[in-house]
Amino acid sequence: MDSMTGRSGLPRTVDVLIVGGGATGAGLLRDLARRGLRCLLVEKADLASGTSGRYHGLLHSGARYVARDAQAARECILENGILRRIAPACIEDTGGIFVATPDDPDDYVGAFPGRCAAVGIPCAEEPVAELFRREPALNRGIRRAFRVPDASLEPWRLVEANLLDARQHGSAALPYRQVVGMERNGGFVAAVSIADVRSGTVERIVPRIVVSATGAWAGRVAALAGVSLPMSPGKGSMLIYNQRMTDSVINRCKPPGDGDIMVPVHTVAILGTTEIGVDDPDHYEVTPAEVEALVEAGEALFPDLGRMRILRAYAGVRPLYMPAEVAGPAGVSAGAADREVSRAHVVIDHEARDGVSNFVSVVGGKLTTYRLMAEQTADAVCAKLGVDLPCSTADDVLPGQVAGHGYYWLGHRLAEHEAAGGGDATLICECELVTRPALEGFLAERMPCSLDDVRRGTRLGMGPCQGAFCTFRAAGVVAALGSAEAPDAAGENAADARAELAQGTLVAFMRERYRGTRPIAWGRQLQELWLSTGIYWGILGLDAFEPATAELPIEVGVGDGPR
Amino acid sequence: MARADVAVVGAGLAGLTAAIQLAEAGARVQVMATGHAATHWAPGGIDAGALPGSRTSLDAVERLARLEGHPYAFLADGLPDALAWLRSALGAEGLDLVGELTDPLRAIPTAIGSTRLAAILPDGMAAALPAWTAGETLVVCGPAGFRDFWPDAIAAGLRRPSTWRGHPRPARVEALTVELPGLAGRHNLSSLDLARFFDDPDWRATALEAIARALEGRPQEPGRIALPAVLGLHDHPAALAAARERLPLAPFEVALVPPSVPGLRLFAALRATLRRLGGRLQVGEAVHGVIGADGRVAELRAPAAAREFVLTAGAIVLATGGIAGGGIVAERAGSLVESVLGLPVDGPERGDWLLVDPFDPAGHPLEAAGIRTDVRLRPVAPGALERPLAENVRIAGSLLAGQRFLRQRCGDGVAIASGRLAALELRGSGSAPRSAAVVGAGREARS
Ligand SMILES: Cc1cc2nc3c(=O)[nH]c(=O)nc-3n(C[C@H](O)[C@H](O)[C@H](O)COP(=O)(O)OP(=O)(O)OC[C@H]3O[C@@H](n4cnc5c(N)ncnc54)[C@H](O)[C@@H]3O)c2cc1C
Ligand SMILES: Cc1cc2nc3c(=O)[nH]c(=O)nc-3n(C[C@H](O)[C@H](O)[C@H](O)COP(=O)(O)OP(=O)(O)OC[C@H]3O[C@@H](n4cnc5c(N)ncnc54)[C@H](O)[C@@H]3O)c2cc1C
Repeated sequence: MDSMTGRSGLPRTVDVLIVGGGATGAGLLRDLARRGLRCLLVEKADLASGTSGRYHGLLHSGARYVARDAQAARECILENGILRRIAPACIEDTGGIFVATPDDPDDYVGAFPGRCAAVGIPCAEEPVAELFRREPALNRGIRRAFRVPDASLEPWRLVEANLLDARQHGSAALPYRQVVGMERNGGFVAAVSIADVRSGTVERIVPRIVVSATGAWAGRVAALAGVSLPMSPGKGSMLIYNQRMTDSVINRCKPPGDGDIMVPVHTVAILGTTEIGVDDPDHYEVTPAEVEALVEAGEALFPDLGRMRILRAYAGVRPLYMPAEVAGPAGVSAGAADREVSRAHVVIDHEARDGVSNFVSVVGGKLTTYRLMAEQTADAVCAKLGVDLPCSTADDVLPGQVAGHGYYWLGHRLAEHEAAGGGDATLICECELVTRPALEGFLAERMPCSLDDVRRGTRLGMGPCQGAFCTFRAAGVVAALGSAEAPDAAGENAADARAELAQGTLVAFMRERYRGTRPIAWGRQLQELWLSTGIYWGILGLDAFEPATAELPIEVGVGDGPR
Repeated sequence: MARADVAVVGAGLAGLTAAIQLAEAGARVQVMATGHAATHWAPGGIDAGALPGSRTSLDAVERLARLEGHPYAFLADGLPDALAWLRSALGAEGLDLVGELTDPLRAIPTAIGSTRLAAILPDGMAAALPAWTAGETLVVCGPAGFRDFWPDAIAAGLRRPSTWRGHPRPARVEALTVELPGLAGRHNLSSLDLARFFDDPDWRATALEAIARALEGRPQEPGRIALPAVLGLHDHPAALAAARERLPLAPFEVALVPPSVPGLRLFAALRATLRRLGGRLQVGEAVHGVIGADGRVAELRAPAAAREFVLTAGAIVLATGGIAGGGIVAERAGSLVESVLGLPVDGPERGDWLLVDPFDPAGHPLEAAGIRTDVRLRPVAPGALERPLAENVRIAGSLLAGQRFLRQRCGDGVAIASGRLAALELRGSGSAPRSAAVVGAGREARS
C-alpha cells in the first residue's frame, strides 16, 4: 500500500518510468507490469485528475466517427467490447441513440446506418414513437433515431482498477510526484528528477526507458528531455445537469459539433462539449459565451434544457498533437479545431524522430481507446528493450469488477454498504450517499490527501448541494480519525496538523466548487451559491482559515471534473 | 377576496418587524411569503455591522452610512430604536438578546473551528462574548455521532492563533465527545432532532448529567464550554437554565449549518407576537402585483390550487430578501428581475456579477444589487431618485440596494431598521381605526 500512497521513497532504478497518471499511463503501467517489467508511474497531482478525470464520460461506440475517421470508429467499437468485458463495474450500459433533428443534414442521416455497418458498429433504427415513449424529454421534431452501443464510463474507478492490477503485478504508482527534469547523456536520458510536490524534495531515478503519457502536457515533458513535441491543447467545456433527463446517451446525427451529446452519468447528465484552443493546460476557465452556446445547442435535443438546473460547468483539455507526421486518416490534413482528425492517437519513438533512444511519448486518442494506446506503447517499449512478451490486458478482467449494475441507481451505494455489513451508518454526504465508514476507508488509504481527492475517490460533494453540507463534515471526520489514532497529548499536534490540512483544503475545495458554479450562476443555482456563501462565510467564518495551498499545490486548473 | 390595511411580502426579519410594528399600531396586517426566510438559516444573532478594523458594530454602521448608496445612509439613525424594540419584543417571548451596538465586536467560535465577528447574540450564545482572560480553557463538547458538530476539528481550528482574527483567545482548547443517553444507534440525527430531545426535561437532565460527568476528571480551571446550538427548540429558556445550573463551565451554543435552531426560535417568537396582535401569516405562495396608472398597487395575487388568491391592501411592504430570499431573480439572459412587482433592479451587468475569487474581501458586485428607494423607502428607478415609482409601496431588508450583508455583516441591522421605518411610514400615512381602514383599502382598490 505504501508504494501507492506516496509515503515510501522512490526506487533508484526501474525498467520503465511512466510519467502521467491518467487512463493512458495507468493502462500502460498495468500492461507492462503484466508483461513482467518493473515499472513506476508518477503523477504530478492526484491520480486521474488530468483530462481523464475531466472528460465527458462517454464510452464511445465509434458511431460519432463513422463519417470521417473509419479507423477511429473501428478502434472504438473493438475497445468498447473489450472494456465491457474487462471493466464492467466502471460502465453503466445506458446505450446510445443518434437522433436526427430537423436541422441535421439528410444525407448524413441517410448514410449513417450503412457507415456503422461498414465498420462493425451494431446500429438499429428505432421508431420515433418508441423513442419518445422511452425518452419523453427529447425534441418532438426528431425524425429518426438509431441505437448504438454507447455507454457511460466512470474514469476514476477505471484508473484505480488498472493501478490495482499493476500493483498486484509488482509495479507502483505515486501521486503528487512531478517530473521536473531529465538528464541527457548524448542520445540517452540518463536520469530523471522527480519532485514530491507536497514536501518540495527532489529525487533522482535511473530508468531504462521513460514513457511520457502526459496528454496535453506532453509537449512540456518532452521539452525536459530537450525534444520538441508541438501540442495544441484544446479546451472542451461541459455542463452538469442535476437530473437525468435521459437514460441513454443522446447524440445528434450530424458531423460532430458543439453541445451535441448528452451523457447520463450516475445521478446527473452531462452536456458537451465545446472546442477552443488554450495556451496553458493548467489555467483556463469556462466562459459565459461557451455556456450560452452549449445550452442553445442542447435545446435542439431537449427543448426544455434552458429551464433545467445546471449544477456546474467544467472543462478538460484535449491532448491534441498536430504535426504533419501524424499517421492520421489518409488524405485529411490536421487543423487545430478539427474534431475528427485530432482524435487520432500516436506513439512517438523519440529515437527515430529526435535521436533520444530511451524516450517514448504517447499522445492523443480517447479514453475509450486507452487500453489500445497502452498496448501499442507497451509493444514499442518491449521492442526497444529487446523482449518479446505478449499483451494480456484485453483478456483478463480487471480486479474488483463485480458485474455491472445495468442502469445506475443511487441506492446501490447504500445497498453495497449494507451488504458489507455496514448497517445504518452515518451519512456524511446525503446527495451521493457517502457513509462515514466509506469515507474513513478511503482516508485510511490515502491520507494525507486533499478534500478534492476525497471527492474524486468517493463522489462526496458531487451532488445537488455541491458540497455545501458535507465538506465540513469530511474535515470533521479527518480530525476525529487523527485524534483517535493519537489520543495522548503528544499526538495532539499530529492530529492538529491533519485537521489544519483538512480545514485548509476546505478553503481550496470551496474555491474549486465555485469555479464550476460561476459560469452557470443564474436562477436557482445562483440562489444556491448565495446560500452556500452565507453558510461558509456568514455562519462558519471560513475566511479566517489559511488556504492549504502551500502543502498541496494542486494546480487551480486541475482537480475538477465530471462525475 | 381577502383584505388588509397593509400586505407584507416576505416572512424574514424585515417583513416580520414591519408587520408586528404595524399591528402594534392597530393596522390589519397580512404577511405572505413563498417560503421560510433567512431566519431559518442564519445564526440567530443580530448582525448590525462588522468591517475589518471596526471596534464596535456602531463604528461599522457609521462607516457604512458614509458609503455611497448604502441603506444605512438613511437607516442608521433609527437602528438603536429598532434594536431596542426587537429586544423587548423577543424578551416578552422569553428570548433575550445580549450585547449592545456600542460593545466591542468579538471573535465567536464557529462549527468548523473558525470564528466570526459578533456583538449581539441570543442569550444561549452570549457566554462566548466576554473577552477570554488568561488561563481560561474552552471545552468544545458535542454528542457522539452528530454529523454537524465535530469537536476534534473545531478544537484543532480554535487552537491555531490565526483563527482568532487578532482577538483574545482561550489559553487551552479541548475536544470532548460525549455519548448522550439513548442516541447510541442514532447515526443521522439532525440539529432539530437533538433540540427536541433537549425540550424533554427528563432526557435533558440525563444528557447534562452525562456531559457533567465527562467533565469531572478535568483540573479545576476557569473556563467555558461550547455546545452545538441544540439546547431546546420550544423550551429553550428552560434547557439553557438547566445547562447553566448543571455544568461546571459556562455553556454557550455554537450556530450550526441550516436549519438553524436559534433562527427557528427567533422566527417562532416573532410569529407568536404577530399572531397575538391579530396579524396573519401565510407561507407557501409566490405573490405578484401590478403598479396601477395611479402609481399605487391595489392588490396582490397568488396562484393557489383551486383559484387565484387575491389580497386587497391599502399599502404594501416588500421584504422579499434579495437574491438569497428570492426577491430578485437573476436570469440566464442577464436581467435581474424583482419577483413581485417587476421593479427596476439596480445591479451590475451580467459579465460583472461575480468575481473570480469567491473569498475576495471586496465581495461580488452582484451582492449589492437591489431596489433603490428614496429616504421614505419608496422604490425609485436607479437614475431617478426623487420620483417614487409606487406611492404605497415600501422596500425593506435585504431587498434594498447598496448593502453587502455577508461582507459588511449588516443584514439583520438593515432588516430591523428598514422594517421599523416602513412601519412608521405606513402608519404615519394615516391608518384609520381598523374597520374604517379596511373599507378605505377596498375603496382604493376599486378606484
Ligand atoms: C472535453 C473533453 C471531452 C472528452 N470526452 C471523451 C469521451 O466522452 N470519451 C472518450 O473516450 N474520450 C473523451 N475525451 C478524450 C479523453 O478524455 C482523453 O483522450 C484521455 O483522458 C487522455 O488520457 P491521458 O491519460 O492520455 O491524459 P491525462 O488524463 O491528461 O493524463 C496526463 C497526466 O499527466 C500528468 N502530468 C503532466 N505533466 C506531468 C509531469 N511533469 N509529471 C508528472 N505528471 C505529469 C497530468 O497531471 C495528467 O494527470 C475527451 C476529452 C476532452 C478534453
Ligand atoms: C445562510 C445565510 C447566512 C447569513 N449570514 C448572515 C450573517 O452572518 N450576517 C448578516 O448580517 N447577515 C447574514 N445573512 C443575511 C441576513 O440574515 C438577512 O439579510 C436578513 O435576515 C434580512 O432578511 P429579510 O427579511 O430582508 O429577507 P429574508 O430573510 O431573505 O426573507 C425573504 C422572504 O421573502 C419571501 N419571498 C421572496 N420572494 C417572494 C415572492 N415573490 N412572493 C412571496 N414571498 C417571497 C421569502 O420566502 C422569505 O420569506 C445570512 C443569510 C443567509 C441565507
